[in-house]
Amino acid sequence: MTIIETVDLKKVFRSVVRRPGLSGAFAALFSREFEEKVAVENVNFSLQEGEIVGYLGPNGAGKSTTIKMLTGILVPTSGVVRVAGIVPSEHRQQNGQNIGVVFGQRSQLYWDLPLRESFELLRAIYDVPRDRFAQNLRHFSDILDLDRFMGTPVRQLSLGERMRGDFAAAMLHDPKIVFLDEPTIGLDVVAKEAIREFIATMNRERGTTVVLTTHDLADVERLTRRIILIDEGTVIYDGLLARLREEYGTHRILVVTLAENYPDVEVEGAQPNGRDGNIVRLRFNRHEVAAETLIRRVLDAYRITDISIEEPDIDSIVRRIYTEGYNALPAALPI
Amino acid sequence: MLAVYGQHWRINVLTALEYRENFLLWAAFAVVYHGSAIATLWVVLHTFPSMNGWDFRDMAFLYGLWMTAHALHDTLFFGVGNVPEYVRDGEFDRLLIRPLDTLFAVIVIPGQIFPDELILALVYLGITTWYAGVRVDAAFVFCVPFVILGGTLIELAINVIVATIAFWFVRVDALRWIVLQLEQEFTRYPIGIYTRGVRLFLTFVFPFAFMNYFPATYFLHKPESALGLPPAVGLLSPVIGLTFLGVAYAFWRFGLDRYKGVGH
Amino acid sequence: MALAVRPPFRLEPYLEFGKKAIAREATYRFDVFTSIGSFALRIYLLRMVWVALYARNAAPHGLPLHAILTYSAVALLMGLVLDVDQVSSLYTKLHDGSIVSDFMRPISVPLYFFADGTGEVLFHASLIVPSLVLALFIVHIDVPSGGTLAAFALSFVLGYFVGFCINFILNCTAFWTLEIHAVQLIVTWLTDLLGGELVPLVFFPVALQHALFALPFAAMFSTPLLIYVGEIGPDRYASALGIQAIWLVVLALASVVIWRAGSRRIVVQGG
Repeated sequence: MTIIETVDLKKVFRSVVRRPGLSGAFAALFSREFEEKVAVENVNFSLQEGEIVGYLGPNGAGKSTTIKMLTGILVPTSGVVRVAGIVPSEHRQQNGQNIGVVFGQRSQLYWDLPLRESFELLRAIYDVPRDRFAQNLRHFSDILDLDRFMGTPVRQLSLGERMRGDFAAAMLHDPKIVFLDEPTIGLDVVAKEAIREFIATMNRERGTTVVLTTHDLADVERLTRRIILIDEGTVIYDGLLARLREEYGTHRILVVTLAENYPDVEVEGAQPNGRDGNIVRLRFNRHEVAAETLIRRVLDAYRITDISIEEPDIDSIVRRIYTEGYNALPAALPI
Repeated sequence: MLAVYGQHWRINVLTALEYRENFLLWAAFAVVYHGSAIATLWVVLHTFPSMNGWDFRDMAFLYGLWMTAHALHDTLFFGVGNVPEYVRDGEFDRLLIRPLDTLFAVIVIPGQIFPDELILALVYLGITTWYAGVRVDAAFVFCVPFVILGGTLIELAINVIVATIAFWFVRVDALRWIVLQLEQEFTRYPIGIYTRGVRLFLTFVFPFAFMNYFPATYFLHKPESALGLPPAVGLLSPVIGLTFLGVAYAFWRFGLDRYKGVGH
Repeated sequence: MALAVRPPFRLEPYLEFGKKAIAREATYRFDVFTSIGSFALRIYLLRMVWVALYARNAAPHGLPLHAILTYSAVALLMGLVLDVDQVSSLYTKLHDGSIVSDFMRPISVPLYFFADGTGEVLFHASLIVPSLVLALFIVHIDVPSGGTLAAFALSFVLGYFVGFCINFILNCTAFWTLEIHAVQLIVTWLTDLLGGELVPLVFFPVALQHALFALPFAAMFSTPLLIYVGEIGPDRYASALGIQAIWLVVLALASVVIWRAGSRRIVVQGG
């Protein structure tokens, strides 16, 4: 069942043009020039219930504008948004009941008070039945290990503990959809893993739909199969992460550990890609030369102790798309 | 809604207990703030014994009515004044995703709120009622709470209007400050000292005169009130308050739609 | 070990801080217009209040209606400059911890706050011109002789520095406690009342006046204002300015002591 749908979504902002310097600042007291900026345009996608999607793009690409329209905070200039069957900006309050939001950089917990008190207030705001509230809290405590710091004022929590608290807070009212904006920013490896595990569990057990915006592509690799890439306000890719890697990540790296110290290592069909002592890295295009052929050539020429192939990580693929643009994608790639 | 409101107060009290020292400092501020206003009145009326037929005792009671309405407003609706700040730092977006009316969501944001000023105001009102020689009968006891509630709604309406302006101009600190100052100045003296235009403004446009001047005229049995209105109009202040708040709320809704249209 | 050489003093960064502060203040144009608007409204209000009071009562000795209107108008104009908390960025920086990065820069941190604060005040001072023009439409402001004006200007400058020290000290308390607004507001209100911004101190009962004139609050508003309207005559200029100067020295020393103690706290304990 489709739970989120956008059709030809567009948002235009008007902003003040500021002239530099002191005189500019004084002049701006009396007259202002405006310019129009298209934040997002032609955004079309739909999400099925229970999906996790990574909504990715560089800073200023239009990610948060889209999220604001999905959460009912902004009204689109044109186009349609439907979230769980309703138009968010027209039925803001109902939409609020359906969604949960976590901003990695902004907490919704009460700074001066223990976690427990924030949860109590949220229970009242979202009108969560008491038994359901208790049950959820117990469950979340198990996964996120909240019990250790449930009674500590939030301002004394570490960032990792606070984020666990924020996740529990966003999920207390069993939202159908959660929007996660940079949920793991600034966290250490252990806390990141705990948060990712929690997201995966909620999705698996409750079928919660998750929209994830992040710059940490490890989040994406761990959690989602589908990604939507947005750049300069439009969607440039919507599809499986694996396919993006398949079609776009055409290069592989063959890592060879040599048994003897050969001065120069040259193999036909591959370019040297760095050397560290006896470990040599060879980069090749898998459409031009099969890995099997390449390995045979290496074995024919050198004595080796180990060999392996590195897949390109999503990070480098996405970075390439941002810098080279969508047009650089192989023509074969269907959107 | 009641449950949310109850939680709001639970957290307020917990926060006040968490910050006992701050709480005492703010209570001290409330004393200085109102104390200096009353001292100013006293100094002025020490030099000039009468202001349009009102002496220091009358004016002390006039101040008491305003102070109580103002303190009740700050206790119940403190959050409204923070809207410009929420808009500026983006926290307002968080309120928009709550399944609550946004104005209500603003009001129930817990903070370091404690009814210390209200308690102070009630004590002061009690003392000045005696000091000004107001006749305390059943009618007085019945009417005073309504009059104070009316004053509170008038102040809330003004603050909702200022908060709404923050949707257009992000930094409205000065405006907020000025409106509060004007409210104080206009409610401090009997409005008879102002020109007719100002009196009309205070009665029909921004009805500050209904926070304390008209009710005080009635309770003090002054023979006449400004603009030739019968003193009993003072008892209309809850009606005026509700009407004004209705207008302010409509403006708020209009501003909210605009905010959702352009962000900030 | 490298020899620590104190870099030569350069004025340029501080000029730049001041300019930045002016530009920052000018950004908030709605604030600018509201402050000028409120200034005009308050003068208008005060005029009505004083006129009503003088109409039904005998004028107090030495301050006829035109003098009190002049007093109120000049007090409000001074307030445009003196009521600015030009050191509030110190509080902000202590609150969010960004003060640490100022200590990492090759600058004198107190001078940075002075430059930033002066820029802010200069912007607000520029509002005096339009405000004065507006004020002249509403009330008649007496203009005293050149000598009196010079004494007023000197007294005003002393008062400004007294105010700067008070604000500096108040904001420095944020080194120890992050909740300073209550104390600040208490001081602001006491300044308004006891400094003679709202009502001239000569209206207070005589017994109180002597105590009030000895407080630093009077050094901010009351002394320059009473010089302006002639309540303090040329024969008393020396003592009036002397008291202001004494307060300035005392508060400036206190500022230095408090700043040293506070910044040591940052450097030694890491905030």
